[in-house]
Amino acid sequence: MKKFDHMTGALHRREMLALMGGAAAAGTFGLPAFAQDQKKGGILKIAAPANPSSLDPATGGAGSDHSILWTMYDTLVEWDYETLKPNPGLAKWSYPDPKTLVFDIQSGIKFHDGTPLDAEAVKFNIDRGRQDQRSNVKADLTSIEAVEVTGPLQVTLKLKNADSALPAIFSDRAGMMVSPTNIKALGNDTDRKPVGAGPWKFVRWADNEIIVVTRNENYWRPGRPYLDGIEFNIIPELATALRSVVAGQNDMSFALPARLKPVIDRAKNLTTVMSPTLYCIQIYFNHARAPLDNVKVRQAINFALDREAFVKATMGGLGEPAKMTLPSTHWAFDKSIASLYPHDPDKARKLLAEAGFKDGLELTIGGYMDQDSVRRGEVIQDQLGKAGIRLKFSRGTIAEISSQFFATEKKFDLLVSAWTGRPDPSMTYALGFDKGAYYNAGRLAAPELSTLIQESRESEDLTKRAAVFAKIQRFTMENALSAPLAFQFEIDALSEKVKGFKPNLLGKPKFENISLG
Amino acid sequence: MITAAKLSIIGRRLLQTLPVIVLSTFIVFGLLKLVPGDVAVTLAGDNASEQRITEIREIYGLDRPFFVQYGTWLWKAAHGDLSNSLVSSEAVLTSIKRCLPHTLLIVSLALLLALIIGIPLGIAAASRPSSWVDSFVMAVASLGVAVPNFWLGMLLVAFFALEMNWLPATGAVAFAQDPWGALRHALLPAVALASGGIAEVARQLRSSLVEILSSQQVRTLHAKGLPPSSILWRHGLKNVSVNLLTVVSLLANRMLAATVVVEAVFAIPGMGSLIVNAAMNRDFPVVQGVVFAMVLIVVGLNLLTDILYSVLDPRIS
Repeated sequence: MKKFDHMTGALHRREMLALMGGAAAAGTFGLPAFAQDQKKGGILKIAAPANPSSLDPATGGAGSDHSILWTMYDTLVEWDYETLKPNPGLAKWSYPDPKTLVFDIQSGIKFHDGTPLDAEAVKFNIDRGRQDQRSNVKADLTSIEAVEVTGPLQVTLKLKNADSALPAIFSDRAGMMVSPTNIKALGNDTDRKPVGAGPWKFVRWADNEIIVVTRNENYWRPGRPYLDGIEFNIIPELATALRSVVAGQNDMSFALPARLKPVIDRAKNLTTVMSPTLYCIQIYFNHARAPLDNVKVRQAINFALDREAFVKATMGGLGEPAKMTLPSTHWAFDKSIASLYPHDPDKARKLLAEAGFKDGLELTIGGYMDQDSVRRGEVIQDQLGKAGIRLKFSRGTIAEISSQFFATEKKFDLLVSAWTGRPDPSMTYALGFDKGAYYNAGRLAAPELSTLIQESRESEDLTKRAAVFAKIQRFTMENALSAPLAFQFEIDALSEKVKGFKPNLLGKPKFENISLG
Repeated sequence: MITAAKLSIIGRRLLQTLPVIVLSTFIVFGLLKLVPGDVAVTLAGDNASEQRITEIREIYGLDRPFFVQYGTWLWKAAHGDLSNSLVSSEAVLTSIKRCLPHTLLIVSLALLLALIIGIPLGIAAASRPSSWVDSFVMAVASLGVAVPNFWLGMLLVAFFALEMNWLPATGAVAFAQDPWGALRHALLPAVALASGGIAEVARQLRSSLVEILSSQQVRTLHAKGLPPSSILWRHGLKNVSVNLLTVVSLLANRMLAATVVVEAVFAIPGMGSLIVNAAMNRDFPVVQGVVFAMVLIVVGLNLLTDILYSVLDPRIS
């Protein structure tokens, strides 16, 4: 069995990143430059974990849709696989001033139905995202005041306020360009009859069974794609999905849980790909009321947690201990914050005593019912218990428990859940920590933090932005506004003939680099 | 034989099924609304705001009163429109038409296996009660009832698909497109589904046969000098056919339900997978549609059983 471990130590990783950066800069439009001797042709069969919510990027909702959508839709902006730094996609972007964003579209690109992908088409898509009743990306585009066509291939966005998160936002659903002709002709039926400008064209979709895409002969990137087509066989039961790859009926299965790793290892002729993602398992705090309104209690929880042991016990070691809400490979990660909370139960007890809980305290906590969540809860209970924090668990479905915690009921002091990550870190902080944000159960935030979050969207320069994010991260961690635990690894099983696959930090695989050997 | 009187009974039974169908869809609809969770959350996407979820409820009419929602669905269903999936917007009728054949294929194959294996076992056991053959068959039958079909399914896959590579491990092929491929895909799931059925057929057949064979009537036949084989085949089996029919009809219903688990193990895109996925998303038009179709099938099966009863045993009317 061969293994490509993408987490072989920070130093090695940084070297690799440096190399990758150079290669990307040399290639056109950020395409990874390894893949010289890859063959064209063949149909890739993939076991996909979920039926898509829709094949129209603007109306769909599930995070598992992206891997399928990206085969049919190219995005205005793309990102670097390892760091999620935004790169040009269908268009190059620039900010003539902080409140103006200009997209210059690559010339000669056509949608699968022959409609030119020009300024009019891009304006149509952005306006639809902002205004259509069914659009699920509206909330991401609120900073846009107006979209103007300023040239045949140039679109200018007038912004209400400076917003440098927009390029990353246009690497996600909002940036997937749909043929305006198709939308005008089909309306809501676009959900099931998608037309984009991606490397593959839509062929058919049978719910819970299969999605087929075939090569777009007129794809704008020369020499791409390698594959003649892709078949997504939808298998929600992941152990079954993996069996289908072991049996050779599918070539690849992705987003596998750590508990299936031994099964991949046992199988002959399978390659494992593992790679960190933004998916962060964390304990949310309701810090607007006692006892968690006391920063010392919140810090005590952070000191009491043994994140390395947590990763070992709940993820078989296949995860990255989380020191903040961004993983270490992300472009905005700040190393200086990583050492704030070493595992120190004594310190935790001391902080609790200072906060007036000399004999420890009892907290209520919400959690989910699935096997993995229960195990996480048990480990947390044990770790916090050693520092004198006794947990009273309530369990239920995700929908039930999370709304009891975040919405109006305000049950529980704590919630063990996850943050699935967002293309731009400012979105993570705005949605999870800012004043009035839904995922900030207490709804309160220091004015200082709100200012910083606003500031993080003001400069387009990534170094400057990273400096602001470092301040935000320091603020959220020093004030212990949550307790991040671990970043999940993406785990994929590939048959030997699959060449060139690269995982990405978003944890949602793209198949553009794959060829069959 | 089928007479005018029987036809009117059939007609009456058909009419009786109508309230059953309405009631069952109503109960399922009510359950879906009672269970926490909301399709609007699925529709609004990852990490959506409260405001967006409320908006979605309005767009899809999920904020309307319970009876209005159910009534709308029922009205459309009565006109032959089972609506579309709220999540993927595929027409529910299209989904059912595609999924149902997969499920029917594995259930019929499983029933067939249960009969062609279960009947000889039952006869063998009953013809020599308390012999080692009998003990052996009954031991196998107990095991068959006890083994969970999903576990057996995984073992079958591990050996026949992964180890020996004789049969496909997962998936299904439409029978209409490729009958041989469809059968190959359906075989392992059918075996997994049939294990309990084989056991049940064997046990039931044995006990009713033993009862018949030790009855006064059979003693008289022996006294008349009929050979044992003729007693078994002509008189014994004919007398247990009604019992057997009951077992088969109950089995068919139970197997339809068990496909929910077996289809997940084998990744078969049938009715079980359809309803599980829809129920998780609270996608009620799909759940309603599947329940509707399943109730029709079960009611139809029961009706067919009743008709066959009266054919097999003229005393039943």
